[in-house]
This record gives sequence, C-alpha cells and structure tokens, in this order.
Amino acid sequence: MASPAEARALFREFLRLSRHFGTSYNIKEYVRRRAREGFREAAAVTDTAELAKLWEAAQQQLAVVRRQSVVYDLYSRRHKHAMELLPKERA
Amino acid sequence: MALRAAGAGLRVWRAALGSGGSLLPSLRGFTAQAEPVEEEVIEKKGIQLRGAPMYLDMQATTPLDPRVIDAMLPFMTEQYGNPHSRTHLYGWEAEEAVEVARGQVAGVIGADAKEIIFTSGATESNNLAIKGVAGFFRDKKKHLITTQTDHKCVLDSCRYLQQRGFDVTYLPVQKNGLVDLGQLADAIRPDTSLVSVMAVNNEIGVVQPLADIGKLCREKKVFFHTDAAQAVGKIPIDVNAMNIDLLSISGHKLYGPKGIGAIYIRRRPRVRLEAQMSGGGQERGLRSGTVPHFLAVGLGAACDIAAQEMQRDQAHIKRLSERLYKGITSQLQGVVLNGDPEARYWGNINLSFAYVEGESLLMGLKDVAVSSGSACTSASLEPSYVLRALGVEEDMAHTSIRFGIGRFTTEAEVDRAVELTVQHVNKLREMSPLWEMVQEGIDLSKIEWAQH
Repeated sequence: MASPAEARALFREFLRLSRHFGTSYNIKEYVRRRAREGFREAAAVTDTAELAKLWEAAQQQLAVVRRQSVVYDLYSRRHKHAMELLPKERA
Repeated sequence: MALRAAGAGLRVWRAALGSGGSLLPSLRGFTAQAEPVEEEVIEKKGIQLRGAPMYLDMQATTPLDPRVIDAMLPFMTEQYGNPHSRTHLYGWEAEEAVEVARGQVAGVIGADAKEIIFTSGATESNNLAIKGVAGFFRDKKKHLITTQTDHKCVLDSCRYLQQRGFDVTYLPVQKNGLVDLGQLADAIRPDTSLVSVMAVNNEIGVVQPLADIGKLCREKKVFFHTDAAQAVGKIPIDVNAMNIDLLSISGHKLYGPKGIGAIYIRRRPRVRLEAQMSGGGQERGLRSGTVPHFLAVGLGAACDIAAQEMQRDQAHIKRLSERLYKGITSQLQGVVLNGDPEARYWGNINLSFAYVEGESLLMGLKDVAVSSGSACTSASLEPSYVLRALGVEEDMAHTSIRFGIGRFTTEAEVDRAVELTVQHVNKLREMSPLWEMVQEGIDLSKIEWAQH
C-alpha cells in the first residue's frame, strides 16, 4: 500500500511532467486536470484492493506521460500556443 | 539562433558522453524541429497569427490522445509485421494486436469482436454499408431511405445508386433537426432494404432517436444503418439495445488516428452485403487490403480510452459548452442555437449571429480555429445544406459558426473564445446598416427592397 506521502509524490510527478509536452498547451492542461481528477476520485476510495488497482493504473499512466512528454518535446511546434502568450494574470 | 542550437548540441554531446545519467533530459535538447522562437508571429495564407490558434473545431477532427500515440508507437517501430502473415513472429504479433483492437472497438458499442470490420474511415464504412446492402438485395429490394441532413458520403452513395436504378427517399427533418418517426414509418415500403440515419449530426450536433428508429426498422424487417462517426465514444451506444444492424466508426473523430475506421455488421440476424473492394479477402472477405495494424491499434486504444473516460469527458464538455453558450448569449442579442436544445451532443454548438456576415466573422476570429459548418463544404460560400434542411432562413444560415469542444479544451480557451466572438460580432454590427435599422425599431421583413 502506498502512503499518503507516496501518493502526493506521484501526483507531483504528473504535474512536473505536464510542463513538458512541447508547445501542446491543451495536452499539458489535460494531464494536469486528469491527474487532479484521478487523485480526487482515489481519495474517496477506502477499499484496499480497489486502491491497489488504482495505484497500479496510475503508475502505468505515469509511464505513458513520461514517454509521451519526450515525444511531444521532440516534435514541438516552432511557435507557442496563443493561450500561452496571453498575459499571465488572464491565462 | 545558430549559437543557441550549437549550445544545445554541445549539451547533448556532454550528457551522452560524460554524465552517465539518464539520457532523457539530454534528448530534450535534441529536437527534430527548431525550438520555439522568441518572436511569435506565424505567417500563413497572407494572415499573421500571434501563436498557434486555439482549436475549437472538434467535428472536423480531434487531436490524437497521447495515450493513443503511446499504444501505436511500438507498431510503427519494431513490430512492423503484416497482420496477415501466418509464418513468422512478425505476423503473429501484428495479428494479435489487431485482434485486441477489434475487441476494444466492439466494446465501446456493445458488439462482438467478430462483428467489426476495419476500413479506411467512416466514408468507406458508409459506402460499404449502403452500396453493399443495396447491391446484395438488388433483385428483390430497390428502395433505400436516408435523411436530408445526413453526411455527404451517405447522400452521394445514394445518388450513385439512384443512377443505377434504385429508388431513394431523402426524408426531411423537423425544424429542430430531428427525424419525424411517423414520416419514417410511412416512407418504409415492402421493397425497402435499408434505412440510414446519422447518429450525431456533424454540423449541428443533434442526436437522432436511434433506439426508436431501430425498433421501427426491426418491426418492419428493414436493416438500420447509422453513421456514428461523431457519436462513438462520445455518447453511450449499444447496438443491441438500439437494434442497430450496421454502424460506421471513424478513428480521427474520437482522438484516434486518421486513415482508419470500422464498420459494425450484425451477425444475428445476419446482415448480408456485397464487398466493394476486391483482393486478398482480408476482413472476412468484406474489405480486402492489408489492415494497417498500427492504425487499428490506435483506433482500438482510442475506443478503449473513450469508454473509460466517457463520463468525465461528458461532464467536462457539458460544463464548457454551457459556459460558452451562456457567455455569448448573455452579451449578445440575436444569437440562435441551431438544432434541438435538448437532444444534442454538447461538444457541438452551432450558432447563428443575426446581421453579421459569417465569412467576415470567421476571418475576424483568426485566433480561434472554428468553421462555419462541415470541413467538406467549408471551401464554398454556399450556406450549409443541413441548415437549409432545418428551414433556417438564408441570412441566418450564412452567419453560422460551429464551436467544437472536446476532451482537451480548457475553460480559459472558452472564456477567450467568448471574449473574441463578442468583440468581433459587435464590431461587425457597428458597421452594418441593417443592424442600425433594427436598433431603430424597423422590422426588416416588412421592407420592400427596390430591384436594381
């Protein structure tokens, strides 16, 4: 079983990798949103077997994110996304 | 730039030779294309863009989900076998992957894997369903039924059959875009072989009453085909509960790759049809040609993810599209939502803006990738045939814009799109003499325009 600290570390790793994905603003935002949703849903689960399954699935998803963040970085656009060019307080 | 590139190259060398740590960080400096540049102006087709526009055209196509790319890549690199090769590992592993994908596609529509045939896309699936069924029963049954708002490839396949002696009924739709079931029942004849009705309309997003149509067709012993390119993976579909006999799927409308699709063909009771492609007899003889295994894997993964994410996607899309609709209609008058407000897929919001010229608005909204209707007809200035079938007035049909919201759309994008739309509609209306007259209380429909 993963401890709360391990779960938090895993969540932070998703957020860290979400910043890569080249210039793909939408994918970065989705990885962040989906990780947040997933961890929020998991926080409500109490069944240990179910939690173990979720933990395993999250590890697999993290591996996907890790590989794809490299792929997206390799093939990123020359220009940024319009949403990332908006002034910070609005974006 | 050159200096920076050289610097990046050096870093790659040093990391690869010296540190002995992970190679991943060093790969990031080793991009296939240039790094994002500081000045952010893109010039294409004579217009200047500041950054890549936000993408709100999800009915034209959807971006690949990174999880789909991840599933496909092994089959684009090492596992390149022909899935029909029976004598070596390369063939076996490719075939295994295709069969897993077939099961995943079947899963999202409640079908059996044996009922799924891979094609090049929904256009091919629609052609196969319509021409295939009509061709097989040509001796006894000469009649087909579709709707006026169906996709071009369905209508065109029907036209093709008409030229070859078949009889086709193009059902009108009601003002809300939905088929009248009574009219459909009346249109079915003893020699009708097939009814083809699109599940989710690509231009206006209305969802046809599939279960009711399926029940009616089953009672009348007519095959029911639905073009579900815009529906699969987005709204729940069950081919058995809805009595669907044939169903077309497209890969790139559900975050999968382009160039692949599938058709579901019911086995019990069996639907017989004529193959449209001759050759090696792949896909049970119904679609010859080597199955592109990495595309099939991509379609399978996309279906699998769509099934798992459907509830989350639906909630996200509904929230954003309501935000978009309320944001625009609370700030602008004379905005009409085309199609039924209830029976719709919320990722497709087709709005008409009164007293605004649609093309000018599209040009003004260059930072938002939207279209006036389907991509197939977006090159012509003609108003959409779908909107005309709904009885939308010519002037309103000319000003329609379709906002497509999907899994990867963000709230910030929707807010920005609302802001830009309101700004440009107001600007265009300020220039419009018609809008001025309306503001003064003149009823435009009562004016008798002088002929020139």
